[in-house]
Amino acid sequence: MNAPAGLKTVLKDVAKAKGLPNAHYIDPAVFEEERHHVLYANWAGIGFGKDIPEIGDAKPVDFLGMPLLLVRDEDGAINVYQNTCRHRGMILVEEPQKIRGAIRCPYHSWCYTLKGALRTTPHVGGPGTNIHDDIKRDELGLLRVRAHVWQDVVFVNIDGQAAPFEEANAGLLERWKEFEKPTFHGGAAASFKLDVKTNWKLAVENYCESYHLPWVHPGLNSYSRLEDHYHIEERGFYSGQGTLVYRQLTSEGGAVFPDFEGLSDKWDTGAEYISVYPNVLMGVHRDHTYAIILEPVALAETVEHIEIYYAEPPEHLPDGLVEANSKQWKEVFVEDVFVVEGMQKGRQGILFDGGKFSPAMDGPTHNFHHWVATNIEAGRAKSA
Amino acid sequence: MVDVRSDLDAALLAAHAKGDGFELSRLYADAADQAERDQDTDAVCFFLTQAYVSALETGLPSASVLNQRLVQYGREVVQADLMS
Ligand code: FES
Ligand SMILES: [Fe+2]
Repeated sequence: MNAPAGLKTVLKDVAKAKGLPNAHYIDPAVFEEERHHVLYANWAGIGFGKDIPEIGDAKPVDFLGMPLLLVRDEDGAINVYQNTCRHRGMILVEEPQKIRGAIRCPYHSWCYTLKGALRTTPHVGGPGTNIHDDIKRDELGLLRVRAHVWQDVVFVNIDGQAAPFEEANAGLLERWKEFEKPTFHGGAAASFKLDVKTNWKLAVENYCESYHLPWVHPGLNSYSRLEDHYHIEERGFYSGQGTLVYRQLTSEGGAVFPDFEGLSDKWDTGAEYISVYPNVLMGVHRDHTYAIILEPVALAETVEHIEIYYAEPPEHLPDGLVEANSKQWKEVFVEDVFVVEGMQKGRQGILFDGGKFSPAMDGPTHNFHHWVATNIEAGRAKSA
Repeated sequence: MVDVRSDLDAALLAAHAKGDGFELSRLYADAADQAERDQDTDAVCFFLTQAYVSALETGLPSASVLNQRLVQYGREVVQADLMS
């Protein structure tokens, strides 16, 4: 089901545009196109640095079928490799583990360093001979995937063709530069995930907009009303929403989380929530940030990985507050599940035409659709 | 008389089963030493290689010496950074 005609209306101004056609949510062929033209062609989030905190920590990640391996090397840097041995294509690492010395392929024991170099090729020239003229080790290191770590999120550009991360996200990096400082993951209590039966894009779209807040999050309404929110939309880059009335969580004893240092006044009561296209949702506040990686497991199956970060390590934070904050956020994110799953179901209605945006309220959502459509069209033009 | 080979085989199997890299490397290095006494170069290098891979995987300091021994037999290339 090819729908290039449909994308023309997606690319119009918000007042005239339609949403992405149903096929983008329910057609496996379009999902496959998006895999390459959207998720592999841009900087997608695949994991968190805090999951491989120490030298030698290795974590395999399956990204839409592509086997990846995250490794922290001797210099503390995060490397992402294709998790496939250069010899016969065996999967190298199947479970998260600490690599003590070399990454050894379980098949014929070719060994790689943490930096991906091919260290040895046992018996490759016959029993007891580990060298051969035609085995050029410096050409047979692990294949490296372009990676960039920002706010502890490990982003990868699988096809290697995207602009450098700092360039592709220059506007957002500038917007949030005050938050470029050390953050500390809140520990086990600051980590949770949600399995959602929806296409990954619907989670992005719902995150971008504040229109649904009074209905889906009535609890937020008492202090964070619709009129206290503003749209964030940068055509071709990112979108989301901001609030003017962020209030710090306070314990019964009156304790609050410590603030990030050196923030300007705007953040006293301001907070922003931005979809970092394609699949990372972030939020920043004076006293915590969070990132949600949307793992697009299948066409209508997404895992939301949520991790919350603070200005100081968890042992310095007020007792019980990390748990309370996670509970509060989890309630909000769980409230969103029925709508992202419901929109997925709704797209089985063959008469649905992509939908009619509110020009006043749906700009950030439209901005995402416009970006997806632009990427799809560019990808289609390239592969045509 | 004790059957040295089958004792070694049993110990190797046990170490493989446990994934005990230190023990594996030690046993294979012992086997290499024995083969050296028997002047069986191919066997020496086979066992040294097995010992070397386990040492590499486990991050043992002995990897450096094993590498050098294999290099001396012309069976491996120098991995200078193992020395550090
Ligand atoms: S497939 Fe990895 S060593 Fe053969
Ligand atoms: Fe919501």
